[in-house]
Amino acid sequence: MPLLRVPPRLWETLRLQRGIYARLPEHYLRALREDAAAPPPAAHWRPSAIPRVLDPATGRRQRVQDVPIPVYYPRESQEGLWGGEGWVMGFRYANNNKLSPRVKKIWKPQLFYRELYSEILDKRITVTVTMRTLDLIDAAFGFDFYILKTPKAELCSKLGMDLKRTMLLRLARRDPALHPDDPAKREAIYEKYKEFVIPEEEAEWVGLSLEEAVEKQRLREKKDPIPLFKVYVEELVQQLQEQKLSESAKEQKS
Amino acid sequence: MLGAALRRAAAAGLPQLRAFSLSPLLETVIVERWWKIPLSKIGRPPRSKHRRYRVYRLVEDTKCSPKEPMELILTESVEGLGTRGDIISVDKSYGRNRLLAQNLAVYPSPENKKMFEEEMRLLREGKVEKSQTLSGARTARFLQRCHLEVGMKSDVKWELTNEIVARCFLRNLWIMVPPYAVKLPDEPITQYGEYWCEVTVNGLDTVRVPMSVVNFVQPKTRRYMQWLARQEEQATAPRP
Repeated sequence: MPLLRVPPRLWETLRLQRGIYARLPEHYLRALREDAAAPPPAAHWRPSAIPRVLDPATGRRQRVQDVPIPVYYPRESQEGLWGGEGWVMGFRYANNNKLSPRVKKIWKPQLFYRELYSEILDKRITVTVTMRTLDLIDAAFGFDFYILKTPKAELCSKLGMDLKRTMLLRLARRDPALHPDDPAKREAIYEKYKEFVIPEEEAEWVGLSLEEAVEKQRLREKKDPIPLFKVYVEELVQQLQEQKLSESAKEQKS
Repeated sequence: MLGAALRRAAAAGLPQLRAFSLSPLLETVIVERWWKIPLSKIGRPPRSKHRRYRVYRLVEDTKCSPKEPMELILTESVEGLGTRGDIISVDKSYGRNRLLAQNLAVYPSPENKKMFEEEMRLLREGKVEKSQTLSGARTARFLQRCHLEVGMKSDVKWELTNEIVARCFLRNLWIMVPPYAVKLPDEPITQYGEYWCEVTVNGLDTVRVPMSVVNFVQPKTRRYMQWLARQEEQATAPRP
């Protein structure tokens, strides 16, 4: 085993400080850091209501710590809106008895297909949802509000982030493609969601995965090389013009 | 067959599978750890690596928890629920699949609540015109099927008035019609015959009701005539 200058567990973090990763827009990198630090959604466990409880044995006040239960988000969850639910992979005790054998267990959510209507996009989309998603949509007073209000860590879905980016782009551009023959209705919708408007340059980067963001940055920086013959032709033309000018000046003097 | 598949899955390192018939469909499951994780120092992550901390117990399945109703604001009158602007509390499934899907209701967000309160205030002050109430619409629909019979005596001279027609509505059809809501034809009615009268419901919907003015018969006499007719019918009917 060679002696490494940087331990392998830091490689992922340090990667963002070099090369094309470091040239990504500042708001995108900030969003990445915030998402990594955000707590996971409390979908499969109950957060404690009070920060301290009395210990029944000693009668002393004791701190309560909430340790989130790790949830696995399969690929299908990224193509639907599961509202923070996922597979709880772990064990249980047979017969619900601590002395019985430990058995592997996966708790999976029940999924439904629902047609959801987005006001901003003026589209109906059919997605896999859970009942928790529908409850969250009701709590947010609408599908668009749910997508726009919910942060990435709570949404837990690539589809949701893609929808968010599309909506934010529409809001930033005040796209006339929405209800093209009814400007009053369009303005009313853009007015309703005006609290979520962010600049277009930022909206383009919302919800991109790191690979997508790097590809986008590469395309931004990409410049086709200019063939040398074009460079030389330009130089020659400039030289000839200078020569002509100097000749005409001489003639005028003489 | 299934057992072999399960063994193969276990050998491949996949988590153990259960037959579908044995695993009930669960909605959002709430689990908790069998073994509590010890308190960590403040600012330190808890030490939760041990495999014991991945043994869970099912606390609750929200499929079995009591169903809570959902609040909505109606945008149109719905029979049995209320009129426009009412805040109602309905089952979630009904609210989502019927009321919201058919644009009969909206979410009670603060903006919507404010909008409807403003509308109700204008309605109370009379700045916007009223719309027909649910029972008013039902009454108009009932009136469209009605036929009114006005009995007038033959031994006195009479002329039909709004009050007489309103009284006949109450006696014959059991509809309470105020006299100002009735409109009779322009030329005075003093003869027996077939006529029209117009009834305005709540000052909004006008319904034309056919009206026949006939000779007045005492209720007792009418009942006797009906009895006579029934007797005759029975007499003429062929015996089995």
